[in-house]
Amino acid sequence: MRSKKSSANYNRQDTIFKGILISASLLVVGLFVALFLMLIRESMPSILGNGFAFLTGTTWDPGKGVYGALPAILTTIATSLLAVALAIPVALGIAIFFTEYAPERSKFPLTLFVDLLAAIPSVIFGIWGLWVIAPLIKTYVQQPIVASIGFIPIFGGPAYGISLSLASLILAIMVVPIIASLTIEILSRTPVSLKEGMISLGATKWETVKHVSLPFARLGILAAVMLGLGRALGETMAITMVIGNSYMWPFANPSIFAPATSITSKIASEFYEATSAIYVGSLIELSLILLVITLATNALFRYVINKTNRGAKRQ
Amino acid sequence: MANGSVKLDIQRLEAWFGDKQALKGISLRIKPKTVTAIIGPSGCGKSTFIRCINRMHELTPGNKVAGTILLDGVDIYNDMDSMDVRRKVGMVFQKPNPFPNMSIADNVVAGLKLINAAGKKELEEMAEENLKAVGLWGEVENDLKKSGASLSGGQQQRLCIARALAMRPEIILMDEPTSALDPASTAKIEELMKTLKAETTVIIITHNVQQAARISDMTAFFYLGELIEYDDTRRIFESPKSPLTERYIMGRFG
Amino acid sequence: MRLVSRKNANLLITLLSLAITIIAIVPLLWIIGCVIANGASAINLEFLTDTPAPYGESGGGIANAILGTLIINAMASLFGIPVGVLTGMYLSEYANSGKFSSVIRASVESFSGVPSIIFGIFAFTLIVTAAQHYTALAAAFALGLMMVPIVAKATEESMRVVSDDIREAAIALGIPKWARTVKIVLGVARGGVITGSLLAFARISGETAPLLFTSLFSFYWPTGIDQPMATLQVLIYNFALSGYPDRVLQAWGASLLLVILVIVINVAVKVVTRPKYKEGF
Repeated sequence: MRSKKSSANYNRQDTIFKGILISASLLVVGLFVALFLMLIRESMPSILGNGFAFLTGTTWDPGKGVYGALPAILTTIATSLLAVALAIPVALGIAIFFTEYAPERSKFPLTLFVDLLAAIPSVIFGIWGLWVIAPLIKTYVQQPIVASIGFIPIFGGPAYGISLSLASLILAIMVVPIIASLTIEILSRTPVSLKEGMISLGATKWETVKHVSLPFARLGILAAVMLGLGRALGETMAITMVIGNSYMWPFANPSIFAPATSITSKIASEFYEATSAIYVGSLIELSLILLVITLATNALFRYVINKTNRGAKRQ
Repeated sequence: MANGSVKLDIQRLEAWFGDKQALKGISLRIKPKTVTAIIGPSGCGKSTFIRCINRMHELTPGNKVAGTILLDGVDIYNDMDSMDVRRKVGMVFQKPNPFPNMSIADNVVAGLKLINAAGKKELEEMAEENLKAVGLWGEVENDLKKSGASLSGGQQQRLCIARALAMRPEIILMDEPTSALDPASTAKIEELMKTLKAETTVIIITHNVQQAARISDMTAFFYLGELIEYDDTRRIFESPKSPLTERYIMGRFG
Repeated sequence: MRLVSRKNANLLITLLSLAITIIAIVPLLWIIGCVIANGASAINLEFLTDTPAPYGESGGGIANAILGTLIINAMASLFGIPVGVLTGMYLSEYANSGKFSSVIRASVESFSGVPSIIFGIFAFTLIVTAAQHYTALAAAFALGLMMVPIVAKATEESMRVVSDDIREAAIALGIPKWARTVKIVLGVARGGVITGSLLAFARISGETAPLLFTSLFSFYWPTGIDQPMATLQVLIYNFALSGYPDRVLQAWGASLLLVILVIVINVAVKVVTRPKYKEGF
């Protein structure tokens, strides 16, 4: 029979333990709040000093005290959207191949490849993109395009190699495995009974995918795209090494073959040398903007997914 | 039995799951415009049997099939494409599986859309016609745009029957279609058998021996992968030839 | 539609998806190939045991960066893994649908969406400005914080799928809740927690941005955790952009080491967690 004393002991132990867990969790919450607060506080010199012109200005000249972030913001958004746009069809192709057509024995090596691609450090994507891909892309892809349709401004020359388009391409490669592995997971969960229903009507594999599996996976694919987009928005090293770090795009030169600067590449390349309070503050305000864009994008996706889910359940 | 009156001719059908043999040489002939009930204890190969008829058994990993199945005299394995077979042989599953991402009307004509059988107007008419045939029209005519999954279990199953029927199949296979339903829905579906019989040929698996007695013209009794007895339903129930059949039927009655 | 053209469409999709998959694998093989081809020649004894030579001179090694990466990763794990496991434990065993739990969940979820460079800035504002110089400790803090959501999620998920039967058996034995959670449920779930931690470790080994203004870089052996420290990642970044061919080559060599580390961990985790049985269809 358990004595009252040991019951009390147990209760005390449980309370202490729960307290430890809660402390750890509160630490996480606290750190998140602290993150926001610190970013806001440290951006103050810029928020106050640069004002609204920070968001609309197109020139960045610390020497003259001019800080306009618009090209960087636009570049971040453009490269991310481009990267995801390139990545979605590839990721879908992989996912469809994996779930419907791949022979059983190839599945393990396939997922291994996809996971490894996702695990390669971004700085290595950067060094590969810079030293291996950039020269090739410049000669074999960019220059021919410029030669043929370069009169269209966004495809205009000269072809720099290191550019917005190269950054988007490398980013796309990095984002593919993220979207693909989540899509594979969601497609695999398509109920067999639904697929059998379609097959019993005489459907081909592709028709089953098109009419049953993909509609079923709609929301999951959206979530996968959200994750990919989030990754693209926040990516720093690979972009910094291949984007060129120049404010040319889009206002001085709208070509995708021109060098550009994203929020992350600007911070990465200039933070160490930023000396004055307003310079540092501007860079931190940039990071705050990035954080807001990223979290807002996530929240938007989540809202859409939840709303669609609830709509479906109500039926 | 003249050849002209054989819809489905099954000759020495054998089937395996990996190295486990599920069907050990089944031979029987199904007559057109009849309802044939397949009865027998669990695991005796009934499901495997009908899944061979619409060539869905071959989707199971490690499957193997031997023997011949002739639909209207044509070998469904060697002389027909599997998708053609499934177009001509429809299936209704134990658990209703309407497509949740399609409306009720679209569910009915899902198969027809695949073969691009008709234009929008005709498809709408076909949806109405088949929903009427299964007795669902009155219940859903104002809700045709709603998801197929928004109906009750019994309605969903009738929807699946309408979906199969819309293909104008030569044969409809049914794998225990009422076992997951309540008695009222079951009764409604059993009533459908007369309608279905006029249009097509029905092969229905049922674990409910009384149901077999109620609705079928012919009954086949399977046991451990073998066809023990196949005869007129009344004859099987009144005077079964095999003691196994008798024991099974008796065990289920009263 | 005629059956032939429907089958052709299916065939087209088969080939197209196969082609796409092959194309997608090419970058992986290409990167690994480049890293091996360019980096292998850089690796020798001096490379592995010596500190870097100044820009413009030949020779030298990356030993301090190897050591630095290990030190910082270890410190990060000391922070990130316990906090992550404890939080994950809370979410799995103690959390309900109340406001408090949702706030915790939202924080963990939001952290996993935060760009890595922002962790670096956070650590900079918290620690580097306070210390008045770059420190490895700040880097460890940033990386550790990045580990928290990964480990927390892995812990929560692995513990959540432990069946209630096991918990009930433990209750029936009169074991207090803390012991049930730590000794029994966590015991069953430990595989998931370990693989989650390993993956988090591999992940931070590849993260460079948070290090750029925390641990910075150094050409010398680590002198203390309150000082800048060299790491493989930052070394690769600096040397690859340096324009000195000797250094670029060494960047490739460092990349090779980093890639090997990351691949080994990921392959090991994948092999250990492969599903043992296959379901039909």
